Amino acid sequence: MSDESVEFLNSGVLAPIKKWGTRWSLWPAHFVTACCGVELAHAFACGYDGERWGVLNYGISRQTNFIIVEGAITRKMACALRLVWEQMPEPKFVIVLGACGERGGLFWNGYNIVRPSDVVPVDYFVPGCPPTPEALLRGCRAVQDKIEGIDRTTIRFKHVDIGREVIEERLIPTSPKRCALTPTIRIDMHSEAKWVFGRELVSVLERALGDLLVRTAIVGRNRIAVKVNRDKMKEVAVKLKEIGFDHVKSVNVVDIPHEKKFIVEYIVSSYSVEDLKPVLLSVFCDVDRDDAWISSMKDVWESADYQEREMHEFFGVMFEGNPWMGRRFFLAKDSPEYPLRKDFKLKEARYVLEKDEDVRNPPPSDLTLPVPQEFLEDAREKDEYVVYVGPHHPASGHLRTILRVHGDIIVDVLPDPGYVHRGMEKTAENLLYVQSIPLFERCSIVDSPNITLGYVRAIEQALGIHVPERAKYIRMILAELSRIGTFLYDAAIGPMFLGHSTGFMYCFAIREMLVDILTRITGARITTSFIVPGGIRRDVPDDVLDAVNRFTYALRKRWERYMDIFVRNPVTLARLRGVGVITKEDAIKWGMAGPFLRASGVEYDVRKIEPYEAYDEVEWEVPVSDEGDSLARFLVRVEEMNQSIRIIRQAVSALKNIRGEILSEDVLGECSDVYANDIRGYFYRAFGDIVLPRGEFTSITEASRGSLIYSIISDGESNMPYRVRVVTPCLLNLRAFMESVKGERLADFWTVYLSFGYFPPEADR
Amino acid sequence: MIAFGDLFRMILENRANIPVIEQMLGGIPGVDLILWKPFLALIFMPGFTGLMIVIMLMVWIERKLCARIQWRVGPREVFWYLGGLIQPLADGMRYFFQETIVHRDAHRPYYLQFPILAFIPVLLPLLFISAGPLIAIETDFGVQIAVALISLISVIIIGFGWAANSRFAYIGTIREAFMYFAYEIPFILSVVAMLIIYRTGNTLHIAEMQSVPGALLNPLAFLAFAVTMVMATSRMPFEIPEADQEVAFGPMVEYSGIMFGLVMTIAYEKAYVLAALMTDLFLCGGAGPQIQMLGDLSGAIWFFIKTFIVIIVVFSLRAIYPRYRIDQAMKIGWTFALALSTAALALSVVVSTVIPPAMGQ
Repeated sequence: MSDESVEFLNSGVLAPIKKWGTRWSLWPAHFVTACCGVELAHAFACGYDGERWGVLNYGISRQTNFIIVEGAITRKMACALRLVWEQMPEPKFVIVLGACGERGGLFWNGYNIVRPSDVVPVDYFVPGCPPTPEALLRGCRAVQDKIEGIDRTTIRFKHVDIGREVIEERLIPTSPKRCALTPTIRIDMHSEAKWVFGRELVSVLERALGDLLVRTAIVGRNRIAVKVNRDKMKEVAVKLKEIGFDHVKSVNVVDIPHEKKFIVEYIVSSYSVEDLKPVLLSVFCDVDRDDAWISSMKDVWESADYQEREMHEFFGVMFEGNPWMGRRFFLAKDSPEYPLRKDFKLKEARYVLEKDEDVRNPPPSDLTLPVPQEFLEDAREKDEYVVYVGPHHPASGHLRTILRVHGDIIVDVLPDPGYVHRGMEKTAENLLYVQSIPLFERCSIVDSPNITLGYVRAIEQALGIHVPERAKYIRMILAELSRIGTFLYDAAIGPMFLGHSTGFMYCFAIREMLVDILTRITGARITTSFIVPGGIRRDVPDDVLDAVNRFTYALRKRWERYMDIFVRNPVTLARLRGVGVITKEDAIKWGMAGPFLRASGVEYDVRKIEPYEAYDEVEWEVPVSDEGDSLARFLVRVEEMNQSIRIIRQAVSALKNIRGEILSEDVLGECSDVYANDIRGYFYRAFGDIVLPRGEFTSITEASRGSLIYSIISDGESNMPYRVRVVTPCLLNLRAFMESVKGERLADFWTVYLSFGYFPPEADR
Repeated sequence: MIAFGDLFRMILENRANIPVIEQMLGGIPGVDLILWKPFLALIFMPGFTGLMIVIMLMVWIERKLCARIQWRVGPREVFWYLGGLIQPLADGMRYFFQETIVHRDAHRPYYLQFPILAFIPVLLPLLFISAGPLIAIETDFGVQIAVALISLISVIIIGFGWAANSRFAYIGTIREAFMYFAYEIPFILSVVAMLIIYRTGNTLHIAEMQSVPGALLNPLAFLAFAVTMVMATSRMPFEIPEADQEVAFGPMVEYSGIMFGLVMTIAYEKAYVLAALMTDLFLCGGAGPQIQMLGDLSGAIWFFIKTFIVIIVVFSLRAIYPRYRIDQAMKIGWTFALALSTAALALSVVVSTVIPPAMGQ
């Protein structure tokens, strides 16, 4: 508790004035530490308007007196948090939002999480995951009361004897998790999928690559796995690129300690060859665990670069040729080494902890943030200026970038992501399949239905579950609502980067309506967890569907106001046009995804190429632009929102005629009659013991910001995944974001940032 | 040496005529001193009172106005009956009692001196600006001196940006310097254009001369002045040196506590001085329906109302426009504004040959 601050305010003759001034002028440092920042934005936008209490979000730590810590504090962010806290002048106050901030929440045993209360003194905790804006504002009120001297911590309860019986001590339930100790892992299990083109493609591959291959297998529709030797990996990559596989979607490593090997896997696909677009080709090789090296594919597939860095620090595999080997990218310098290896164990989840058991990670002792020395020296020699942006910066989110500017021109950029790296991939290995749904949702809570949909589809694909028609439509509506919501979020943060707070407010006013609609459908404002394997949790009544329909009209009306004040503003156009241009070739080279890729002229939308849910039953178009500049990236998403509205309206009217179950019988089994329309209360019975067959199951989904890839690797025995690889669109786009900034002016960094809608928790996972 | 008697006579000669005060306080010794016009100009309009109203009220109006444009309420709960009117006071109190940090890298003497030194160029121009019939120092070079002093403000800002010795402060300082060159020449040219028409720099006479507002006499100069004024006060489309989303308030990034309070008010004071100059040059100064009771104060109040409206218009741009990039802003300064003010200069020459010099002289 920062009681020193309160003592200071209470001292002296001027105490009443001091207290009054501080109470009504709590300015939170604009320091967004994790995903609760979305609700923070809601609380200070026009829906709730925290400024009514004089609480004004302000960018610079020196001039503020209040920190709102939003959720999970990673080891890297802990340094930044402490630095910001120390920069602030006394008296200062701290409140912590969210379950992660209290005891770690969903990530309580994560390897990269520390508790904010170990780093800075905390005045109040606001529970929730995420807390609602009301709760946050109550937290601010609580600090005001504390300054005033009203003690909220000691509520005296009245003791009442209700004469309860003493029951015998209950046994602590045992964990339902089953984990095979030395399972057999294979990621190329043959599938019986009817896929004619696939067989042709396999023969083409075998002809072209010849004896470079060890074996090939069709592992599912549109999925091929190719095993090669690690010495031949580069030759294979060159040849595959000639065939048309031009970018890497995912780099994955699987650790198999009992066989003393890693499997290194590159999932590649094509943007340039029409037939190959839906194909995900997985090229993998075995790597000796004691001598873990493989030549880097960076020269062949530029897009593999960042993911190779990531895999290197998670597993310790050397990608020879990648300049970032031996350095940290996502992790802090005192994070545990190679945390995703199987021999690094997380703390076991238990229902009751032992007394005095310490489950917390120690906070970092060294507070300095990493600075690459040779980068600085190079800049000094060339007479360039180095600017550090983030993670505490009025407009940087959680990303830290080190910019090298020559005059006003950005010469070089170093991204320093990982400030919100909560270690989801590792945590998921210790959870039941169905428990991971809310976990992955947290990587992008603004886009939660889409993120969940991707994960659920991977499970459905593995188990061959057929989703009922009604559920498909409702899932599609949710996905499109979420697409609109995410764009509204990005379209709100964007104007802030250009100093235009009105645009921010207008978008959040619309988002507030959308959040209400999501609440009516799913019961949660932001983190819905509504989509489950086999369908959705419960049916949506007709009046809610009508409300969804009405919302689309209300949205259009207010959106025009936003377009008038921000997008059609001459200053905005001057700022966005021609900035951060990415050509089609570069976009493919850097492996971009989603609307940003389409803005560069590549017509690639997973919803068209590999239609899922009911996207092939409704009419809509894929907006594409050829300019590739920031304005195009923004306008493509505007047009995409119009298409989403079109899809929603069609789906709502179609749903009036589609009745029936919303959960597949494949999942419910014998209890399908009872719970067909409402799974509440029987959730664990239906989903608790899902076991996926052996193999790798990769799903690709069009999330709001681009393609989202889940690779679940199952051993066929455990009811927990052996490994889950998540590649989020922001991670795919980070490379292009960094490259397109080079050569622009310093102020254009934020223009490009807004056009990419980069959301660091999504990239960091 | 002026004898005491001479001084007293001087005060009596230059006495403001305010019937209300005459009736209420007539005969009380000391009233004569208060009613001495230069003194009244100092403490009332355009001096201390006007400045305080602008600083206290303008922050609140700015926040409330932006909030209304943005579909929300703005500061409210601190003084509910008047819609959070004293919110700036609470902020000020908080700043006043906060720790003032001087970080290790700062150049300590300059870092602490410059925010206080800044008051000299910010407040001195007010001596030469007339509010209705009130003026502190009456001289034929009033406008010129005021403009020269206003130019010093940027130098001070560059000074404390340099003393802060932080990366963002450095970039912000350079941006301030670039912007300074971009707006200063068109700004001075547009003022000179008006001086050609008025043929004097005495703001008292300038305001009296305008039977037609100066904005109509030379609309080009008015436009150039308005654009450069927005640039000079670094308000929204041109809020480039202090761009908080880019360089985190640039030169002011390291200031905390009461020092930041001082630094922050410079922008408001500058806006007030420039708006006052604009009122005198283009908007007939204190002309308006005379209120008999207030006598000379009537003109001062009309002057203040006009000035205040100008500030509100300039400040409400914040809710409408995003920010230009530095090169775009400089391009506007060096091409559009410069061309406009040069054309205004030519127009003034034409106008001043057509219209005979004002009758009052």
